[in-house]
Amino acid sequence: MKTRTVIAANIALLMLAAAALPAAGETSTYSARSGSKMRIEGTANILHPTWQIEGTIIGGKLEVGPGFPTEPGQAATPGKVEATANVFIPVRSLKSVESDGKPYSDRMDEVTYEHLKEAQFKQISYKLTELTLKEVPKSKDAPYVFDSTGDLTVAGTTKKISMPVNILPVADAQGKKLEITGNVTVKMTDFNVAIVDINLVVGHIKTGDDVKLIFKWVVGQRKAAAAAAK
Amino acid sequence: MNEYESNALGYNRRDFLKGGSVATLMTMLGGVELFAQTNAALAGQTKAPTIKIKVAVIGLGAWGRELISNLSRMPQAEIPIDAEIAAICDTYPASLKRAGGTVPGAAQTPDYKTILDNKDIKAVFIATPTPNHKEVALAALKVGKHVYCEAPLAGSIEDAREIALAAKAAKHLAFQVGLQMRSDKQRLFLLPFIRTGQLGKMVLARAQWHKKTSWRAASPNPEREKALNWRLSKATSLGLVGEVGLHAIDQAGWYMNALPTAVTGFGSINLWKDDRDVPDTVQAVLEFPGDVRMIYDATLANSFDGEYEMLYGSDAAVMMRESKAWMFKEVDAPLQGWEVYAAKLKVFNDTGIALVAGASKAPPVDEKGQPILPDPMTTTPLFYALNNFLLNAAELTKAADDYKAAYGEDDVDGLMEALGKKRQDQARQRPAAGYLEGFHTAVTAVKGNEAVLTGKRIELKPEWYELK
Repeated sequence: MKTRTVIAANIALLMLAAAALPAAGETSTYSARSGSKMRIEGTANILHPTWQIEGTIIGGKLEVGPGFPTEPGQAATPGKVEATANVFIPVRSLKSVESDGKPYSDRMDEVTYEHLKEAQFKQISYKLTELTLKEVPKSKDAPYVFDSTGDLTVAGTTKKISMPVNILPVADAQGKKLEITGNVTVKMTDFNVAIVDINLVVGHIKTGDDVKLIFKWVVGQRKAAAAAAK
Repeated sequence: MNEYESNALGYNRRDFLKGGSVATLMTMLGGVELFAQTNAALAGQTKAPTIKIKVAVIGLGAWGRELISNLSRMPQAEIPIDAEIAAICDTYPASLKRAGGTVPGAAQTPDYKTILDNKDIKAVFIATPTPNHKEVALAALKVGKHVYCEAPLAGSIEDAREIALAAKAAKHLAFQVGLQMRSDKQRLFLLPFIRTGQLGKMVLARAQWHKKTSWRAASPNPEREKALNWRLSKATSLGLVGEVGLHAIDQAGWYMNALPTAVTGFGSINLWKDDRDVPDTVQAVLEFPGDVRMIYDATLANSFDGEYEMLYGSDAAVMMRESKAWMFKEVDAPLQGWEVYAAKLKVFNDTGIALVAGASKAPPVDEKGQPILPDPMTTTPLFYALNNFLLNAAELTKAADDYKAAYGEDDVDGLMEALGKKRQDQARQRPAAGYLEGFHTAVTAVKGNEAVLTGKRIELKPEWYELK
C-alpha cells in the first residue's frame, strides 16, 4: 500500500515535470526583432577624447534548449545552459554619432567602413558557443545574469571573447521576447583593424586601441511561430 | 605659359572667381568649413563608383533631356554614383527617339507603367507636363519607387496635397521635388550666413527672370503643338510665376525661414500675341512676415540682366546669380574683418564683395601639384539636387535591405518606423526639397498664378499650407 502511494506520487511528479518543461531535446528559436541597439565607444587623442558609433540593426537567431528561462520569473538552475546564437550586424548600418546620439559626420563613417574593410566584409558577426547561468533574478523585472563565450568576427578576423550578458524575458503581445544586453572591451588590433591616424581639417586624429562594444539585442518568437505553438 | 603657371601657387585670381566657393567665405568668417574641405579632399582621391542604382526618366522634353545629361555625369560627383538610366519614357515617339540617342542602353517606352513594373528600377524622375505629375507620382510611390518630381508639384493645391501626403506616408522612399536650389552647395553655405542676420534687418527681396524667347516649341502638327506647348495655356500651365518664379520665391522664403502671407499679381501679353493665353510678362508682390515684401518680375520679351535674386537687409544686400553670390555692404554696417581680403566686383558705383571667391585658401591639388578646380558641369544646383536625391534613395534602400535581412520581410510597421526616423533625420539626409517644401511651393505657385491672372491681392491662408 505504502509502495503504491510512493509510485503514484512519483508518477504525479513526473507528469507535473513533463507539463512544465518542453519535451527533452526540444529547442526554441528566437529571431532578431527591432528595438536592438549597438554602440561602439572609443578613445582618441586630446582633440577628440571620445568617439562613438551607433546602429540599430542586429540580426540573427538564438536557439535555446529546454529549461532556458524565457518567461519573467521562471525558475532556473545556475550552471551551463543549452544555447547557440548566430548574430550579425551590417557594417554600413553603423554611423558615427556625437556623445548625445546626434549624427557626427559622413566622412568619419567612411573612415570607419574603410577600417572595417566593409567592401570585403559586409558584416560583423558573433557566434555564441557557451552560456552559463550565474544568477537567477530575485524579482520578475530583473534579468538573468550569464557568462558567455563566443567567436567575434570583425573585418574577417575571428577571436574568442568572453563577457557577462544579461537576459531579460519580456512579455509581449506578439509572443515571447528576450532582451539581451552586455558590453565588452576589445582591442582593434586584435582584429587587425588599424588604428585611425588621419589628418582632417579639425586636426590630427589618432584613436586608442581599446573599443567598448555595448549592445542590446532583442529577439522574439515570430508571430507565426507563436500562433502555431498556441 | 598657361594661366596656372602665372603665379607661385599655380592659382590666379581668375580661377578664384571661376572656382571659388562659399566655404572660403565661411573660413574667412572665422568658422572652419568641414564639409567643403572634406569634399575637396575626397575630390582628390578619385574613387570608383560604389553606389549603383537603376533609374528611369519619364517625360523627355528639354528638361527631361537635361536630367539625362546630368544623370550621366553622376560618376563624376564627389560621392560618385553609377546611376544607370535603364529606361526612358515619353508618349511622343520623336521625343523618345531624340533622348534615346543620348542613352542608347536605355529601354524606350511610351507607357510609364512599363517602367513601374520593372522591379530593377529603383527611382524615377518625373519631368512630364505639370498636370501629369500626380498620376505618375502616385503610381510610382505605390509600387515602391523613389521619386524625383519636377516643380511645381501639381497644377492645383488639391493635387499637390495628394502627392505630398502619399510621399509622406511612404517613409521607406526618398521623395524630392525639383526645387534644386535647396540642394545647391553655394546657396546652402549662404543659408546660415543670411539666417544669422549678417544682412541686418531684412527689408525686401527681389528676383527677376528675363529672357527673349517665345517659350514655344516647334511641332509637326496642331495636336502635338498643343501638347508640346502646354506652358502657353492657362488650362495646363501655372505661367511664369508658377512654373519658373516658384524657384526664386521658394528660395526667398527659405532664406527668411517664412512662408508668404499674401500675393498680388500683374500679367499681360506684351509681345507674343499668338494664340497663347498665358501672360508673357508678369510681376508678383509676395508679402512675408515682418513687413518684408518680395518683388518677382519675369518677361519673355526682353533679356536684359537675365536672371538673379536679391535679398536686402539694413546692413547689406546679397545678389545671387547662378552659382555665384556677392554682398554689397552699407558704409555704416559693422565690419567683420574678412571683407578686406575678399575679392571685389565693381558694379556701377558699388563694390560687391564676392561670397564665392576663394581668396584665402589654396584649392586642393592633385598628385602633380596641379589645382583641382570645380567642374562647371558638376557644380550646378541641378547636379547637386540629383546627386543628393540618389544618395538619399540609395541610403534608404540600403537601410531597408539591412532591416529586412535582420528582422524579416513581414515587420512592415517596424521598418516604416525605423525608416521614418531615418528620413526625418535631416543631418543624415543630403539637403533637398522634400514633399513639404514641394507642397508649400506649389500652394504659392498656384495662388501666385491666380493673382497674376486676376490682377488681385490674395491672402495666403496658413491653413492652405497645412499638410493633412
